[in-house]
Amino acid sequence: MKTIAPGRVPKTTTNTSSRVLNFRASWLLHLFLLAYALVTLYPLLWLFISSFKSNQEFFGSPFALPSVWQFENYTRAWEIGGIGKAFLNSVIVSVLSLVLTLFLGTLTAFIVSRLNFRFKGFIMMLFVLGMLIPIHSTLVPLFILMKSLGILDTYASLILPYTAFELPIAVFVIAAYLTSVPKELEEAAMIDGNGYWGIFYRIIVPLAVPAMATVSILGFLRFWNDFAFALVFINKQALKTLPLSLSMFSDGYGTDYSLTMAAMSIAVIPTIIIYLLFQNQIMKGMVAGAVKG
Amino acid sequence: MAFTNRLRSFIIIGLLPALTIYLLFVIVPILWSAYYGFFDWKGIGAARFIGLDNYAEALKDPIFWRALKNNLIIVAASILGQLPIALLLSLILRKSTLFHRFVRSAVFMPMVVSSIVIGLIWGYIYHPQIGILNVLLEQIGLSSWIRDWLGDPSINMYSVSAPVIWANIGPYLIIFLSAIQNISSDVEEAAKIDGAIKGKWLYLIVIPMIWDTIKVAIVLCISGSLKAFDLIFVMTGGGPAQSTELLATYMYNNTFEIYRYGYGSAVSTLIIIISMILVLGSQVLMRKRGME
Amino acid sequence: MKKKTLAITACTTAMTLLLAACGGGNTGNSGTAEEGNKAGTASPKIKLSIWHNFSGDDLRAKAVRAQIDKFKAEHPEIQLDAQAIPPDGYRQRLKTVAAADEMPDVFFTQSGTSIKEFYDGGLIQPITSLLDEHPEWKNNFIPGSLDTLSFNGEVYATPLSGSATSFLFYNKSLFEKYNVKVPTTWDEMMTAVKTFNDNKITPISLGNKASWLAQSSIISSLADRVTGTDWFKKAVNQDGAKFTDPEFVQALTYFKQLSDAKAFQPGFNSLDNTQMEQYFVEGKAAMMIDGAWALTNMAASGTEEQLNQVDVTILPSVPGGKGDPKSMSGGSGGGLALSKRATGDQLKAALELIYTVSGPDAMKAIAGSNSIVTYNVDLDESQVMPLFYKAYNLYKSVKLTPVYDAYLTSSATEAVNNGLQELSMGGKPEDIAKKIQDAQARDLGK
Repeated sequence: MKTIAPGRVPKTTTNTSSRVLNFRASWLLHLFLLAYALVTLYPLLWLFISSFKSNQEFFGSPFALPSVWQFENYTRAWEIGGIGKAFLNSVIVSVLSLVLTLFLGTLTAFIVSRLNFRFKGFIMMLFVLGMLIPIHSTLVPLFILMKSLGILDTYASLILPYTAFELPIAVFVIAAYLTSVPKELEEAAMIDGNGYWGIFYRIIVPLAVPAMATVSILGFLRFWNDFAFALVFINKQALKTLPLSLSMFSDGYGTDYSLTMAAMSIAVIPTIIIYLLFQNQIMKGMVAGAVKG
Repeated sequence: MAFTNRLRSFIIIGLLPALTIYLLFVIVPILWSAYYGFFDWKGIGAARFIGLDNYAEALKDPIFWRALKNNLIIVAASILGQLPIALLLSLILRKSTLFHRFVRSAVFMPMVVSSIVIGLIWGYIYHPQIGILNVLLEQIGLSSWIRDWLGDPSINMYSVSAPVIWANIGPYLIIFLSAIQNISSDVEEAAKIDGAIKGKWLYLIVIPMIWDTIKVAIVLCISGSLKAFDLIFVMTGGGPAQSTELLATYMYNNTFEIYRYGYGSAVSTLIIIISMILVLGSQVLMRKRGME
Repeated sequence: MKKKTLAITACTTAMTLLLAACGGGNTGNSGTAEEGNKAGTASPKIKLSIWHNFSGDDLRAKAVRAQIDKFKAEHPEIQLDAQAIPPDGYRQRLKTVAAADEMPDVFFTQSGTSIKEFYDGGLIQPITSLLDEHPEWKNNFIPGSLDTLSFNGEVYATPLSGSATSFLFYNKSLFEKYNVKVPTTWDEMMTAVKTFNDNKITPISLGNKASWLAQSSIISSLADRVTGTDWFKKAVNQDGAKFTDPEFVQALTYFKQLSDAKAFQPGFNSLDNTQMEQYFVEGKAAMMIDGAWALTNMAASGTEEQLNQVDVTILPSVPGGKGDPKSMSGGSGGGLALSKRATGDQLKAALELIYTVSGPDAMKAIAGSNSIVTYNVDLDESQVMPLFYKAYNLYKSVKLTPVYDAYLTSSATEAVNNGLQELSMGGKPEDIAKKIQDAQARDLGK
């Protein structure tokens, strides 16, 4: 059966006057949404514009366009902040953490949301706990712990804590999503001769794509922007991640904003790409639903 | 029998890696930090066991309570502001048209921009002399409404709540969006045929169907709001005179600025306990509502 | 069926092992690095680490990093791990490794209360021997400038820079235009405040969001003029003076008087120091009380023309004050401290490093980067900013009095910082004084 996107179904039965009213209302709504979108986009725009300004202009006329576009802000920031290498490190750490979070998170979510066992409540409780802790208070214990594990100053010293701290959100979001899926699905699959792993890979993972995409966006943002862990657990210059480069341009009493804004502009691009990429995945569920319908 | 054995081994093997990492890197540090809370320790040198003194001191400190109150304002603002707006937007913006995708992306963008940038911009909005807000109020003839938005302790918590809500709608929007994907179009069609008008459709069908997701969003809201401080810190530095102090800044200052590591750890444990109470409370409330 | 389960189990196990290997494989690496670090002599290259927060693109940071690079070039036999850590995270990083007792061999720390924490914790060792080896270096420090970095007769670091926290910058053309005398007494100050206010010019630019500014730049100098330095040192030790004494309450009252007379721009508690410097350099305020760091910040954000309007002096005297009015709060900035762990060849290398980065050549280089040093250097006037040259000479010509946050305990400093904000919002001097007194007394266990 062919399904048209629900909102677009034309209302043929309504009379002319209410159609005009509807038309007006929808235009007003669109206008309002557009205005709202522009307001929320503004900080990004402001960041990009500011990144081409001199420090004088940054303070003197914060909302104006730069009189001279200072492209060298970018080259200088790139060089001084060591952004090239840091960027690569951030990509490695964020992507690996994300893969691990998604795999473990989805698996755990599947188990706690679809299967029954004794310590389920207790495990869920543990995961809630992890969402509540202010990460700064874990710095010293984690530092000592990872030192004794010998993983300090490696990618693992970021990937493992990142994954661990993102797991609760992943589990909760995916589990909440899965609970609203009818159980008959996997019962049918079970009869078809799939084991639990088969159900997980063939039924649950494809089903959970929208929730996984959500987790990916949130997780990536957090990994990409983390300052506290990256500051403390990494010592080798060669392994430093991007957030450290972004705060380099300050002497404690003042900040060189032209360079900071340029570096931030570079750093923000991958997060936008990730968002746009996974936003489509969130909507995939809809397409699948439409086909089923 | 074989069936349950297989189930059990699947559960154990499936949970083991996640639980191992989680226990090691989250739960152990939490307990460890709670343990530090029993000591009078500067973070350097010798530590002295003082039992519950740190906890008692925090509970006696008026600043701690003020920070808690401020945090509750943020929690309330988030739950009452972010969630409804995000839910509404997710219903309006759930199509794949270019316009919807554009607006959705735009709403999310404050999230990808650093708090420093958001804080700077809102700083200019609230700026006491050249602030856009005050200039605007003056121009529309509401000069009497002009305030020192960030400096006046009687209103500044509300002033800082606005950007917090505004900047953090994005995550809830995508969480709700993904949950709504689950409501198959047949349900929606059925509702249409039944003649359910939009408002009713929302209350009768959408909210019950994504109730679990809403519950999770509330937990996220509470935990996020209790930990969040960077945006507010950029705007006010917790001041003036600690009027916008939050639990997280209070903890951070004691731990890393004032050299009271043990006390900071105790505060952090209290933050977890308070959050836990709030989360459990909210879940109990929601369970009742959900049954209605 | 069974096979499949087995295969999948194997998969998960492999995954877990992979994770462990991820950590395990690296264990070897970091293990050897660490051994090398501690043993030093065991490996052909001596390993040495230095942490500092001169990470930026400002002249001073570049000057310090250049000295480190020079050391690297001169000592190929030493494997130097130099870490430039962003200032915003520096303290957090240092505190964490200190709690885990994993300090770097050489590290930058602030003078006064900060370095004292490391001294009290037994984490650092003195460098007095290095100073004795180089008398020409030792004797060229401005008298007293090693005090806040010394304990029990031993020097633990030498200042990389001087701190001068309380210049009174003023806008020459605004003073001329409104025919105001640059204030040298408190009455003249209050007259100036009134005149500028009458003409809708902000008298004094202040941005006290970060809250240390009013403490470090205003109250440190102002209170010293009222109470005298001896009183302050007694009060710090809680030995014969208290912060509730009438003279200190009087000092707080002066600050309140300024605030009540609307000397500062509206909303100053939500502006930061960069904004306040910007506001002043743009000619929107007639005066600004700020530290030496303002010089570089103003140079970065103001035009040449705007900078030419700026002149510099010290705070005015107060009636009946016990302190020397020809003084300003200031002293030594931070320096490089030496970890107690360093021994043998590593210790020798570390001392050499400290000498290269904070010795006579370094002092000259740092002074040339528009930064004040507490060391006698012949400053080449043509090489530095004119305003810096003036400020530097002013700094050398006056007596230095303690900066509050270098002497008070950290929580008493917080009490002063927050107290000054509270004062400007209607707080009572007596109440604030009591909070400061309580914090200091509690920290000293008195």
